Amino acid sequence: MREVSGATNGSGYGADALPIEDMKEGAKKPFELVDGQVRLRGSKSRSSGGMAFPEREVCLETGARDMEPFLFGGDGVLYSFSTVHVSSSGPVPYTLGYVDFPCGLRVLAHVVADDPDSLRCDQAVQLRATDDSWFVVPV
Amino acid sequence: MSKVYMVGAAMVPMAKYRNSSYSGLAVPAVLNALKSAGVSPKDIQSVVCGHAFGGMLTGQRIVKELGIGSIPVLNVDNACSGGASALNAAYKDIEAGRYDIVLVIGVDKLTQFGGGTLPLVTEDPEVRQGMVMPALYAMRARRYLHERDATVEDLALVSVKARRHGANNPYAQFRSEVNVQEVLASRPICDPLTLLQCCPTGDGAAAVIVVSEAGRRKLNVPAVRVAASILHSGQVTAGFRDMLNPQISSDSANDAYKQAGFGPGDLDVVELHDAFTIAELVYYEALGLCRRGESADFLKSGKTTYGGQVVVNPSGGLLSKGHPVGASGVAQAAEVYWQLTGQAGKRQVPGAKRALSHVTGGGISGLDHGACTVHLYECA
Repeated sequence: MREVSGATNGSGYGADALPIEDMKEGAKKPFELVDGQVRLRGSKSRSSGGMAFPEREVCLETGARDMEPFLFGGDGVLYSFSTVHVSSSGPVPYTLGYVDFPCGLRVLAHVVADDPDSLRCDQAVQLRATDDSWFVVPV
Repeated sequence: MSKVYMVGAAMVPMAKYRNSSYSGLAVPAVLNALKSAGVSPKDIQSVVCGHAFGGMLTGQRIVKELGIGSIPVLNVDNACSGGASALNAAYKDIEAGRYDIVLVIGVDKLTQFGGGTLPLVTEDPEVRQGMVMPALYAMRARRYLHERDATVEDLALVSVKARRHGANNPYAQFRSEVNVQEVLASRPICDPLTLLQCCPTGDGAAAVIVVSEAGRRKLNVPAVRVAASILHSGQVTAGFRDMLNPQISSDSANDAYKQAGFGPGDLDVVELHDAFTIAELVYYEALGLCRRGESADFLKSGKTTYGGQVVVNPSGGLLSKGHPVGASGVAQAAEVYWQLTGQAGKRQVPGAKRALSHVTGGGISGLDHGACTVHLYECA
């Protein structure tokens, strides 16, 4: 462990000089259950109110390092979507969509639908989760 | 034509950060550089990001994290000179009057390769033949020992000095001293170079804020003038080359001295590319710090440490800090900023007024090196 003390300048550094551990193994899940409802874990800046998902340390709007945990969900609107048949990312097919939440965040989500062909833009969707993954379903 | 100044600098302590992405590495350095300059993210008019292994859009992946966008972001790969080439691009834009405030970033993450020598481009015939960077420098060292009245102990003394300087730098990866016996007894990498004669791999990021005359007037913070910024590429030959006379570095340095109007005898601080011990000795001569043939004596007489003629690598150099290739040129500029503004703490070179930084990137056949950058600086 490195010694961390005082201000960050040419002669030494404080905790704010250390890299952000944004690739840490075993980081907590990006969602939680609140009264049985799925909520996503985002961050909100104390100074600017700027929001983001997933959780982060720095405000996307101002660079302020004052992000606080913030939960949102579970009803959203499907802005657009596509069923993926060829992918380097994982087994196909799967359906991805951009989901708009009332708080103002747009989130890329897996869309799980019995019949993906029946999905349409601007339809209502809702967050769901299994033990370790989250997705949206049409409602 | 505007003059060019550095008005803020920061870096992350060099180390191995396997849990951090490129943006995770660089964002703290950028935020602290902005803070030291008293500049907000929205004041930045252009960004240049040097890296060698960051992949697509490295600069954008970093600066979007703090809301910088809608402005030019240029990504520069020039091997070890990537970061300093980014500084060169910023220098030219400011000199030409295009911008008043430019953010320069250098970043690389070598732990992504799991250790070992730097991965070179396998399209190259010498690389396919087995060339690795320490082998190239080892052949220089072999020739140096053959031609000069020098010994492996002389090589080891470069590491001894580097580690003594690095012991005072909280940003260095290695902060303990070593002696000649330890250096020579460490495991062989490429004969005659041993492990402690090679810079460690690691991860790092650094950022500096570069401004015009007008930008400097707006910000009431300590400034350092960038007096020259030179970028060269190597010239190919299939014939003989004197491995102790790296033309790319001496040509770059000569052009820089001409541009700045001062010379090697005027320097108080030099941050040079000591990726391997032999490099420092060869570059003393190439940069004109001493006469050709005198580099080993120049080191041994203490001329390149505190109290000598010029302090070479007060930061501990790449041998102490490590060499996340694209980050190194900007980390050198940050060190120079701190030295020339009296902010270098325990490693401060007393009364430092003028400085030089030098990085050169190798690894392709037919060239002594692929790219070389030399910057000169003076107190503003």
